[in-house]
Amino acid sequence: MLLSAIVFLPLIGAAVVAMLPASRANGARWLAALVAAADLVLATVLVVRFDVGAGFQFVEMAEWVGQVGIGYHLGADGISVSMVFLSALLTFLAIVASWRIEKRPGAFFALLLLLEVGMNGVFLALDFVLFYVFWELVLVPMYFLIGTWGGPRREYAALKFFLYTLFGSVFMLVGIVALYLHPAGGTFDLLVLAEAGLPASFQWWVFAAFFLGFAVKVPVFPLHTWLPDAHVEAPTAASVLLAGVLLKMGTYGFIRIAMPILPDAFAAWQPALAALAAISIVYGAALAFAQTDLKKLVAYSSVSHMGFAMLGIAAGTAEGIAGSVAVMFSHGVVTGMLFLLVGMVYERTHTRMIADVSGLSARVPVAAGLLAFASFASLGLPGLSGFVGEFLSLLGAWGSTMWPGWVVIAAVGVLLAAAYMLWMVQRVVLGVPSTAVEGIDDLSGRELFALVPLAVLTLVVGVWWDSLLRFVDPAARALAAVVGGG
Amino acid sequence: MGYVVLIPLLPAIAFAALAPLPRSVRNRALGVAVAAVATSLALSVAAFLAVTTEAGHGADVAYHASVVFAHAGSAELGFGLLVDPVSAVMLLVVTVVGLGVQVYSLGYMHRDERRGWYFAVLSLFTAAMLTLVLADNFLQLYLAWEIMGLCSYLLIGFWHEQEAPRRASIKAFLTTRVGDAGFAVGLLIMYATTGSFAYDTVLGGLAWAPGAATAVALLFLFGAMGKSAQFPLHVWLPDAMAGPTPASALIHAATMVAAGVYLVARALPIFEASGVALTVTLVVGSVTALLGGLLAAVQHDIKKVLAYSTISQLGYMFMALGVGGFAAGMFHLVTHAFFKSLLFLGAGVIIHAAHTQDMREMGGLARHLPVTTGTFTIGALALAGIAPLSGFFSKDEILTVLLHEHQYVAFGVAIAAAFVTALYVARLWFRVFTGPVQSEGLREGHAEMLAPMVVLAAITVALGFASPAFGEFVAHHGEWPAPLMALTSTGVAVGGLLLGWFIFGRRSRVLNTRVIKQRTGPLYDVLVQKYYLDLTYDYFIVQPYARLASGLWRFDAGVIDGVVNGAGALWRQVARLGALVDARAIDGVVNGVGTAVRSAGDRVRRIQVGRVQVYQGLMAGALLLLMTWVIVKGA
Repeated sequence: MLLSAIVFLPLIGAAVVAMLPASRANGARWLAALVAAADLVLATVLVVRFDVGAGFQFVEMAEWVGQVGIGYHLGADGISVSMVFLSALLTFLAIVASWRIEKRPGAFFALLLLLEVGMNGVFLALDFVLFYVFWELVLVPMYFLIGTWGGPRREYAALKFFLYTLFGSVFMLVGIVALYLHPAGGTFDLLVLAEAGLPASFQWWVFAAFFLGFAVKVPVFPLHTWLPDAHVEAPTAASVLLAGVLLKMGTYGFIRIAMPILPDAFAAWQPALAALAAISIVYGAALAFAQTDLKKLVAYSSVSHMGFAMLGIAAGTAEGIAGSVAVMFSHGVVTGMLFLLVGMVYERTHTRMIADVSGLSARVPVAAGLLAFASFASLGLPGLSGFVGEFLSLLGAWGSTMWPGWVVIAAVGVLLAAAYMLWMVQRVVLGVPSTAVEGIDDLSGRELFALVPLAVLTLVVGVWWDSLLRFVDPAARALAAVVGGG
Repeated sequence: MGYVVLIPLLPAIAFAALAPLPRSVRNRALGVAVAAVATSLALSVAAFLAVTTEAGHGADVAYHASVVFAHAGSAELGFGLLVDPVSAVMLLVVTVVGLGVQVYSLGYMHRDERRGWYFAVLSLFTAAMLTLVLADNFLQLYLAWEIMGLCSYLLIGFWHEQEAPRRASIKAFLTTRVGDAGFAVGLLIMYATTGSFAYDTVLGGLAWAPGAATAVALLFLFGAMGKSAQFPLHVWLPDAMAGPTPASALIHAATMVAAGVYLVARALPIFEASGVALTVTLVVGSVTALLGGLLAAVQHDIKKVLAYSTISQLGYMFMALGVGGFAAGMFHLVTHAFFKSLLFLGAGVIIHAAHTQDMREMGGLARHLPVTTGTFTIGALALAGIAPLSGFFSKDEILTVLLHEHQYVAFGVAIAAAFVTALYVARLWFRVFTGPVQSEGLREGHAEMLAPMVVLAAITVALGFASPAFGEFVAHHGEWPAPLMALTSTGVAVGGLLLGWFIFGRRSRVLNTRVIKQRTGPLYDVLVQKYYLDLTYDYFIVQPYARLASGLWRFDAGVIDGVVNGAGALWRQVARLGALVDARAIDGVVNGVGTAVRSAGDRVRRIQVGRVQVYQGLMAGALLLLMTWVIVKGA
């Protein structure tokens, strides 16, 4: 029942928070934070009680729509565990960071909790229909979060996000149904489908459908243009969860579904995946370098970093897959920090233009220090979490069958990441304070409360890689064995 | 010998303790940093003594322990502590210079409002360098290497309110990272070839295929060229002088820049398996030794003279390694670390006293700064290679090994570079210490600044006599310099000094620069413009990348996103058309088709409103079609 509790506790919370009258804004805040905290505790219990060597655990299976074989099937392996923990942690911290939101706080927090239901569900579902339901469920709260609490172009951004993702997921649904209708398929159970032994030509087409569904979410070049718009317009909490968790649903989809169910197609698609990953890495980095808006810079950096996650997946080796998950985890933590900090700077200076903000370290040393810390984590400094996944992805990619040129291009991407991040740090953190920075306050205790856990996690994973890899590695090995990456 | 873990750990703890403190508290807790590195020094001495005992018993490795910190696939990544003769010597170098610089900084930085942060970063740097030295595998070496890159960035840009340090810091980080990218790819190939990063595996007894060895060695060399400022990746080091002078002494002269040399020295068996890589190392070192020396000879900024001198001397170390001269290269690394940090610390006192870094505005300091003059002169003569100072012995070893390996061209280059070295040493010395006094209120440095200089000077005087013992210790072979070689190299050095005295020691200085410029013409311009390398990089790499990035951004917004928006707009047009047709049809057919059409029309019209639910329904329709197609196609 642990997994069901993790998934549905926020749903109950969301319902109660939504029903509170508008006058009880403070109650809504506290209740939402409590529910998210309780869910984080449950996720921590899952982490602690998880037996790292033992495959899928805490499995729950029940008939749902028996006539067509749709089951209620939940289960967690090491990859799920790390993603669920990330999702629960970021949701809680996003709620803490949004404490002072004034526009309809009840609805806002209810939507955040609803979002958590979808995110947790995606990472724990082992039935395809269930997976799809959670996948689509995520869209709705995010649409309203951007569309209602967003910036000036929020409606355009929200609709673009919604339609683009929907465009992708429609193809995914096609794939799901095709798998079901295929004589060798005939089920929605992911673990059963993985044993189905589908013909390679059929796999190829289904992979194509899944690719569109997942690649939009990651996002992979050239399907990424919804991301900068959504990020720039989204409120801070939504940006944190969008970059921190939602993007990982895409790479998770490749890992949980496309690779084990369609291993032959994966092999056929590998060159394309590798190419798109490498292109995403350098393309995102180059675009990040050109940005004048802090949030857009972080958004494009996400395209680049998720490229490393895709590179590890394309490698198909155990090192690569473990690296991919490490990138996903670290990017969630570090980019979460970056978006929180950019939001905090924006609240104070009312601008996100890099040209208008400079010399933070002289006025707000704590905020500036954490921003620099997160930037160095983001550019892959060893000892912080960003390096772990990038290095393992590269290591796995080099040892795989992909063209080594893509790996070299990706390695250049590491250099380009240093360029855009340091260029930002140089202008925003260092130097002489600009007028927008005059007289602003440093971080409050509540803001530090939201940031410090992420900073600690960045450091712990960066120094003791096995703190994360002990969960990820066994699952990565099992998966690599399936796709033949060894 | 479990205490070895404390050697890097103590400075790391000092950093972790200082960094989160508020500035005012941190500024009063500098003793934490000094105490940490002092304890590390004491433990390093103990470790060194243990190794000498072991070496007496014929064993090389005195201590080796490791833990695995990462499992991924077949990769088991370890963190190890390896104490053998080379690392034991390096421990001493790093902690002695590190402690000297910290003590010196107590005086040099005592009025800086962020001195606490400065000491914290120095501690982190020391911890990283010690971790690098103690590494038992190349991945750990790389990790520590990158942390040092961060420390270097932070210290170069320490006075970040000014433009120059800010620019210099980012330039240093990115230039060295160009090398690091090569190093990283080298690591990937090493792992793909051998399945390991551990010295034990990849260096001990493994038969490297020449191709893989060449690839790995050259990529490692590329990384080393970035870190150790070898031509043409040296451009960051002179700019790095924008940082506080004692930090320059520690990082950009004595230790971090030596990390590249250390890497090549450690990986020397791979270089030797390749052969080609050795030759490339020799060429890179030769070019750098000479070209760096020439640049040092035209600088007016005292720190930049020393910076280019460092580049040139590092070139010597690469030359030695390029002919397999492990002991010679390492010994020069050690002697250079001491005498160059001595020179930088002396330069710090000089800059404080003269209130300028420009040697044209200095002069006659010898009478006012006796201790500094004395110690600086010892360092300068060691750099010039005058017997019996340590620099003479180590340079002599390099010349000997070059000759022994029949590398006559490289030997000639080394002799020429030695001549140039003596020349710019004389130029610097006469300009700074002789001639008319140009500054007022000249004062000798604080006691805490002078004490480390005296110690370093004493080491510089004494260390040379350890030359044979050092060779014996690290490579089981050491001997005293051959008389003929010693005479030759000393003769060259004296010649350079004499020429320097002839040009810069006798006559008015300002006139001289002009005369030299006139006589040498375009060559002098090339040197002043640093071979136009900075301009080349800016014009052919930095600017094009910036243009490419903004071009790609326009492409992204215009073309890629344009397709998305275009598809949206097109769909709206289709919908509008549909609505139009719908309206006409309803007008035209009065009674016929009826309610079905009307409801369909309503549906299309609602699309224009942009309601999400409608889109979803629409998608479901499209879905059915696609589904049919995929099934037909796939089955």
